[in-house]
This record gives sequence, structure tokens and C-alpha cells, in this order.
Amino acid sequence: MIERQIAIGHRMGLHARAAAKLVQLTRRYESEIVLFRNEGGNNREADARSILAILLLAAGHGSTVAVRASGKDEAEAVDCICEYLKG
Amino acid sequence: MTSSERTLHGITVSSGSAVGHAVRAFDPLFISLNLRISPEEVASEIARFRESVEKSSAQLRRMQAQLKRRNAEESSFLIDAHLLILQDRLFVDRIIAKVESDRINAEWAIQQVTEDLCEAYDRLEDDYLRERRGDLDDIVRRLLHNLQSKHMPPVRKLPYDAIIVGRSIPASALFELRSRHIAGLVTETGSSLSHTAIMARSMEIPTVMGVHDLPEIPSGALIVVDGSEGIVIVSPTKETLSRYGEIATREKKSKRLAASGAKPCATEDGVRISLGANINFSEEVQAASECNSEFIGLYRTEFDFFREGGRPDENALTADYALVLKTSKSMPVTFRTIDVGTELNSLATRGLRFCLENQDLFRAQLGALFRASVKGNARILLPFVSSIENLDEALEIISDVKRNLSRRKEPFSTGVPIGVMIETPAAAHTCDLMAERVDFLCLGTNDLIQYYFAIDRSDQSAAHLYSPFHPAILRCLHLIYMLSLQSGKPLTVCGEMAADPASAAVLLVMGFTSLSVSLGAYPRMRHAIASMNHEKLRELSGQLLGLKNSADVESMVRSSIGLVPSHHS
Repeated sequence: MIERQIAIGHRMGLHARAAAKLVQLTRRYESEIVLFRNEGGNNREADARSILAILLLAAGHGSTVAVRASGKDEAEAVDCICEYLKG
Repeated sequence: MTSSERTLHGITVSSGSAVGHAVRAFDPLFISLNLRISPEEVASEIARFRESVEKSSAQLRRMQAQLKRRNAEESSFLIDAHLLILQDRLFVDRIIAKVESDRINAEWAIQQVTEDLCEAYDRLEDDYLRERRGDLDDIVRRLLHNLQSKHMPPVRKLPYDAIIVGRSIPASALFELRSRHIAGLVTETGSSLSHTAIMARSMEIPTVMGVHDLPEIPSGALIVVDGSEGIVIVSPTKETLSRYGEIATREKKSKRLAASGAKPCATEDGVRISLGANINFSEEVQAASECNSEFIGLYRTEFDFFREGGRPDENALTADYALVLKTSKSMPVTFRTIDVGTELNSLATRGLRFCLENQDLFRAQLGALFRASVKGNARILLPFVSSIENLDEALEIISDVKRNLSRRKEPFSTGVPIGVMIETPAAAHTCDLMAERVDFLCLGTNDLIQYYFAIDRSDQSAAHLYSPFHPAILRCLHLIYMLSLQSGKPLTVCGEMAADPASAAVLLVMGFTSLSVSLGAYPRMRHAIASMNHEKLRELSGQLLGLKNSADVESMVRSSIGLVPSHHS
């Protein structure tokens, strides 16, 4: 299992377009990929394959999320997703 | 094959007659119909749901392919989001789990899961993200539609003379079948004021509704639909068939005759009545100019707007509207902004209320209308207005859209007339105040009458309460006429009242001289008006306003225009 923190670089945050792209990216990997976001003491998580869950994270521009992947290709998955989230 | 001829009775909804083969449409489930299912039904219910997911995805992918060809990147990406929702475990798996655990039908499960998700969205503080629940609503609508129309026969297999028979046929289903030939329509539910009925008339499909003996009509049977008499004849005899053959020939001839007369519409004593056409689809503009319509009094834009279930962007809409205006040449076209019917929405989001709540759509449509306005003679009509505040809000948006267009240096014509649809009692009683703010008024009698009587127009059991001849309606018409006269703003009546000779005569009695009717009714009304005496009708107004019930009003009007008294009273 690998976990890495990343700040959302997209100007609009993880909005519909970015969320859709993210889901399409995670599809390339076998690993389970989960995003975590801590907001005001509330820890929220989202299956990175679920567009509805990602949108509900409401991760705006500059907010920090943790990307956790576990599986055969976890290293590549975390690299690729963090690279994308950086914007 | 020994069955003898039988006649089933219903109500007349769209006139004309047709002989054809019955195609049974299985009863679509109503959105609100929540059913418990047995443990044995769970597997097939899940399969039914999965099928509708598949079907929805396929439709979306087809739409996406079309959009990519048109370079509409923005909309194509929205469809991506829709497709991803259909693959989302949070959505799909939860619905399936609900069907299994609660043993409820897919419609109900979809509803519950959607409500949960929408609640989560509503809690978000981000305005933009909160709006994304609109995507969810859109998908849900598509899913429900596909669940319900799953049993519709594959359209490609429809015989040429198909008469669609079903308990209830949604207007959207008729719309989807529109490129095929439908000879006739028979339903059990619905009334002549339902959207399906309006659609049937605009497509000139002979229709009978309120037929309670549908099981009497076997699939594939040869039947006659007589929309003028409100009857369906099963296993017709040779004599019946030849009689209807003659009627069909006669109808075709009279249609051609009415269409050929190019002189303007006027009463017998030479008073000009402006007669326009109401249309639902851009394709009908051509037909309207072919029957010499003077203007398009009402173009219900929502059917084209939500065509294919997508949301067009401003550029695509501009192209569509420019084409409408080019086709209509000098004929003015009144574009009514999106009015989503009550069949899918609560009254809280009808007409202008919908536009104010979905400003992105409203602004895109207005922007497109103004940009297209340089191509012809466009007018913009705001539907379902009930307060001055709403109207002012809409007018402010219109000014803002114009300012934006100027900033973007988009050419548009500044003088596009703006009008208000008078179709709620509140608007009727304040139409002078509304008239001060706009350029023209349009009277929508269908909604106005149903809200005067507090009835639902799709509910047939209340249909008998609906009467355009009621003293309350006469008083209301009188008031509207007087107020509009004082305001000096032109008014066109575009409801069903204008499309029937007797009720149209009431409108002339009350002073109205501009009417707009569906294309199916156009030749008939042109003909009917030509035989009316305007002076004689106007003299009736005092007497008519003094009558105490609908039956007396109706019979006085009918006899004054030489029609036999109505048999249904």
C-alpha cells in the first residue's frame, strides 16, 4: 500500500471535468485507489472510480487530498494520479 | 375469425380518421408507481434495471458521437460525466442492493438512492458542485424512461399503418416515434389537454383517449380510429372500411383546398382575424408556411431543446434557431422559452420558474435567440409567469444577456419583442401590470382554465369539470380583453380554445382578433372563421356574460354560428 499527499492544482478544483478525467485515469490500473480528504476534522474518503463520490469530496483548488493505492501497480497508480491532480 | 364488428367509445382528442393495424404498447410504469416485488422477481427486476443502464449508455454514446462530429466539446464532456455515473458503483450497485434487500421495483430503488445522493449534494457548500445534482436528475430521467419504454416495440418493426394502442403513452414516446409514420393513437388514460394530446394534434395523428376496453383490441388487429367521433372500431366490416376509405379521401381534399387559399383570414363580414400556427418542432415551420399561416404564434421550444435528452449549447441553439427563422422567411416566429410540463415536474418548476432556477439553460437559450434574431422576425415569449417579481427577474436576465452579447461583439437585433404568456389566474388579473413591462401578450387558455377550476389536465376523471364556456372563464376573458385593450399591447390567444369553432366564437364575442392554433386545426379554423359574422358575435357579449351556466353559454354560441347543439352535456 502506498499513500501520498497532494494539493489540488486545478483552477476549479476537482470539478466535473477533472473528476471525470480522474475516473478515466484510475481505470487504467488494477489497484484499489481511494482518495481521502480531511476537512475541519471530518475525514472523508472516496473510491477513485466513483465520479459521484469524488464530486462529493468537494476538493477545491489548493485543498490537500491523500491518494492511497493498494495492488500490483500501486506505485505507478499513485505517481500518475498525483501527477494529474497537481494540475 | 368469426368475430363481429364492435365499437369502443372514448373521447375525441385529435380529429381525422385512420384504418390500420393495432400495435400494442405495453403499459409503461408511472414514475411514481412504487411496487413491492416477490423474491422470485428480484433477478428479473435486476436484469430489467441493467438493461436500462445498457440502453441509456448506448444512447449517450450515440449522442456523443454526433456531438464530436459537430465539434461540441463542452457537451461531449458532460456526456462523459453521465456515462461515468452509469458505471458508478456508488449509484448502480446501491440500486441493485436496494432491489435485493427491500424487494422493491427498480424505479423505486432508483428514486431512493437518488434522494440519498441528492441530499449529500445539497449539503455541499460549493454552489457549482451542488448544481451537479442536475446531471444526476438527467440520468435518472433517462433511466426511468428506458425502464418504462423497454416494452415499446422496436420502432423499425412498426407497420406502415400502425395504430399505437396502450394504457398511457407519454408525450416523449410519441416524440421519439415522430420520424416513423403513425396512423393513429388509442389510449386509456389522458385527456384532450394532456401533452400527448397536444403532440398528437400537432403531428395530425387521429387519436381517441379514455378507451376503457383496451383488452378488446388484440395486437395486430385491423381497427379503425375515428378521432372526430371519439370511437374505435374493432373487426370492421367491409362496409365500414369502405365508408372510412371515402372519409379519408374527402379529408385529404379539404386539407388541400384550405391550404390553397392565399387570401388572409377574415370573418364573413370582412373583419380581419390574424390566424397563426402553434408548433412543437422546428420541422413544422415548413408545414406552417405551406398552409399560409400568417405567423407562428407559439413555438414550444422545449421539445427541440431536450431532443435526444441532451442539453444543447448556445452555438448549437443559435444555428437551430437561425434555420427556423430562415425557413419561416418573413413570417414572425414566437419562441416560447423552455416550459417543462407538469408530467415530469412539480408546478414549482413550471415555465419561467424552471428558467429562473436553471439560469445557465435559460441564458444559453436567450443568447441563441438574440444571435439568431438577425436572420428573421423573432419574438420571445415567457411562459407560466405568475408574479411581477418573476417577470422583472427574467427581464433583468434578458438585459444582462444582451449586454454580454454586446461585450462579446456578437451581432443581434436589439428590437426583438418580448412577451408574457397569460396562463395563471394571477397573471390574468394583473395582465395590465405585465403589459407595461413587455411588448405583447399571449393568452394560454389550457392552463388558465385548468387552474381556474383547480383540476389537473392529465386527469381524465376531472375532465368534465373543464369548460371554456363557464361563466367564470367568460368573466376572466372579458377582464383580460379590457386590460389588454387599455395597455395598447397586442394579444394573441394560443390555447386550445382557439382551435374549436364554438369556443373560438366565444373569443370573437369577447373581442379577441388574433388567434393561433395547431397545424392540424389550421385549415378547419380558417374555414370556420370565414363563415362567422363578427358584428353579430360582438353583439352577443352582454347576453353571454349574463348567463349562469356553461351549457347555456355553449348552446347560445353554437346556435349563433349555426352549429347543432352539443350532444355531450
